[in-house]
Amino acid sequence: MPSVAHLDDLRDRIRRIERPNAPRQGVLPFGVAALDAALPGGGLALGALHEILGAGGDEEDCAASAGFAAAIAGRLAADDSLQKQRQAAGDGLVLWCLKHDDLYGPGLAAHGLDPARIVIVRAARDDDILWALEEGLRTPRSLGGIAAVIGEVGRLPMVAGRRLQLAAERSGVVALLLRRWRTGSQAAAERARPSAAVTRWRIASLSSVPEAGEPEPTGPIGQPRWRVELLRCRGGEAAAWTMEVADAAGLVRLPAELADRPAAARRLAAEAAIWQAAG
Amino acid sequence: MGGRQLLAAVNPAAAAKGLAPGMPLADALSFLPGLTTRPVERTEDAAALRRLAEWCGRYSPWTAPDHQPNGGNDGVKIEVAGSAHLWGGEAALVADLSQRLARQGIGHRLAIADTLGAAWAVARYASDETASGPICCKSAVKTVNFIIAPDGAREALAPLPVAALRLDPAIVQGLHRVGLRRIGDIMAMPRDALARRFGEDVTRRVDQALGDLPEPLSPLGEVPTRRVRLSFAEPIADPTDLARAAERLAQDLVTRLAREGLGTRRLDLGFHRVDGRVERIRIGTARPSRDPHHLAKLLTGKLDSVDPGLGIEDMILAAFAVETLPPEQLQSLALLKPGPHPNPPPLTGEGVGNRPRLKRTPSPACGGGLGWGSTLAPLFDRIGARLGLDAITRLEFRESHIPERVSVAMPIEVGCRHSPQPSPVATGEGARRVSGGREGAGTLLAPQKPPRPVRLFAPPEPIEAFWVLPDDPPFHFTWRRRTHRVAQADGPERIAEEWWQPDGQLIAGAPNAIRDYYRVEDETGRRFWLFRAGLPGDPPPRWFVHGLFA
Repeated sequence: MPSVAHLDDLRDRIRRIERPNAPRQGVLPFGVAALDAALPGGGLALGALHEILGAGGDEEDCAASAGFAAAIAGRLAADDSLQKQRQAAGDGLVLWCLKHDDLYGPGLAAHGLDPARIVIVRAARDDDILWALEEGLRTPRSLGGIAAVIGEVGRLPMVAGRRLQLAAERSGVVALLLRRWRTGSQAAAERARPSAAVTRWRIASLSSVPEAGEPEPTGPIGQPRWRVELLRCRGGEAAAWTMEVADAAGLVRLPAELADRPAAARRLAAEAAIWQAAG
Repeated sequence: MGGRQLLAAVNPAAAAKGLAPGMPLADALSFLPGLTTRPVERTEDAAALRRLAEWCGRYSPWTAPDHQPNGGNDGVKIEVAGSAHLWGGEAALVADLSQRLARQGIGHRLAIADTLGAAWAVARYASDETASGPICCKSAVKTVNFIIAPDGAREALAPLPVAALRLDPAIVQGLHRVGLRRIGDIMAMPRDALARRFGEDVTRRVDQALGDLPEPLSPLGEVPTRRVRLSFAEPIADPTDLARAAERLAQDLVTRLAREGLGTRRLDLGFHRVDGRVERIRIGTARPSRDPHHLAKLLTGKLDSVDPGLGIEDMILAAFAVETLPPEQLQSLALLKPGPHPNPPPLTGEGVGNRPRLKRTPSPACGGGLGWGSTLAPLFDRIGARLGLDAITRLEFRESHIPERVSVAMPIEVGCRHSPQPSPVATGEGARRVSGGREGAGTLLAPQKPPRPVRLFAPPEPIEAFWVLPDDPPFHFTWRRRTHRVAQADGPERIAEEWWQPDGQLIAGAPNAIRDYYRVEDETGRRFWLFRAGLPGDPPPRWFVHGLFA
């Protein structure tokens, strides 16, 4: 579609005007047409800061969002295009900075992130976590080494967010921030705060049985699914999808019964609007 | 003692009036009605002695406080055998130490001898007339110094009282009772008779004092492998001066390490203050290093934690955990020419700072595979310097049935020393399949048939669960004060105790050799990993949330 290419070109030019020094970083496509179409450039921007939120009761634990982040980081770490440089510098590692070390390797592997590639940094304070992330972002992506940095923070001051975004731009490394909130009031305050991130996602676990299925207790769990919401996107529009959870290759896809049906994505987008309106 | 108050220590003025340690307080007050007394603070005394010993570390790393539990006779032991030449000989060392102690207002008696025992005895019991230097008595600080010539121990010890042999007071009394008052008397006695009558202690102490028996000194801290020192003519306190000195020391140390083909993983920079206190900076590196620029940066990064007080007169940089360093980093130090007294090249400019460090090849020990290249070691060092190296861990795969033992957090240093093993969950081959994209989908899950959670709680969190049939998962449960209604569930997956492991208890204090795991989904779609500890029956089993699925 020439019009889409034209739009992308325009966006690129605007970006260059805004940030003349930032090198062009490229994107990581999700491989799902509906999702990639909603993101400028056709995928998750590399060299950028992305926020990932939990939903509902999971805001505190960030299990679903950790799975989503692991899928992205795992694909970045195993990226073929950088293998050559990495042979010199070691493999792509994922720096995961958090407060409570509750990551479980086998579970992350099931979403595409090899646990052997994770380096965990434990810190007691948000400030230290943000600092460690920024340090991690100082190694340029072209040298291999760090493939992505993931941080679990509660409080994100605007300045810290901007620093991370700038550091990510310089190095080309993707920074993923899992927002982990202890209390509802903190969550409400932080959610309303503006942020320097390029995108903001919200990942919620969805009941694995289709709506039509009768809620029979203790039935087996079907294909687990996520509700993937793109709440905010620089140069793009908010959207939401129902997807199957990331598989062992870190790939998400639309549920089988919805795939290849263009109407479905539109219906889901409409649903998303309702969801958002509801809060 | 027994309600009686005794004098623990007296100052010279009181001693001149006839007071002595051990005297009842009432008697002392009758002698000297105006006597000023303070209660003894033994722990304070011990701490002060320890600080003094630490300060004495500037003369030798082999330094230890010599604390006598029954009070009195406290001292500091310093092994100067290897370091006296750095001060221009024993006499110069004694003079320097004596002068600095006097400046701090510490009266002292110093003795250097061939053996610890001889030095101990002379310092405490030798009469002032035998002192080697002038006795200095100005400003109420009395200093007496002795240097016993090599092989002069026997002669020096002979006139001293037997108490100088570090014997139990009871033995000393016994010796007195038979008329043995001086060490010379004991040395003249047949050994067998002495040992029979007073025990092996007496002969052992004599042998130690004369050097016939070795007596190792156990130092206060760990003794460093390499040590460099910088003394200042005038005490310095300015942070920039300290930073420059730290860089200089790093440079000196690196030169020594380079000459020997070594690298260090742990550094300790001691700041010896004028007032006798020692401030310390400790840093660790993930890989052995001798990059002066990098080490200096780690050290100066922590300078703000140092309180220079009135000034710092010495800085000592000590290297621990020294390991041989693969030759790849040697090239980077080509500028450092080993010489008799190396003049450090400037740290900026065309020197070490601008080295093309990124072109290094990975070392065989840590590079390649899933280890990190040399590009990342400085990153981990920076993080480690701020958060501690133990804050950085890697997940290691272990072969086990117990979920929490499958994925173990290992400190990053350990992970470096062993050659990294790709985890069986995603071996090298598997990782390529991941990167290959869709056609590899699902292959990795094969060894992990039942799904595993993304987050695992350690320890598992107890929940209040309600179930109908003993073998069923709960139909609703309360976790963290929130109630979840179970909509779907998979299970059970039974995981039993690894009876071949010695520390078999899964959860401390619970007789739960068997766990039945269920994967449950509540009505909002959140997926939990629950387990029932123990078999259904009496007593009722307990339920736990162990993890959360994505």
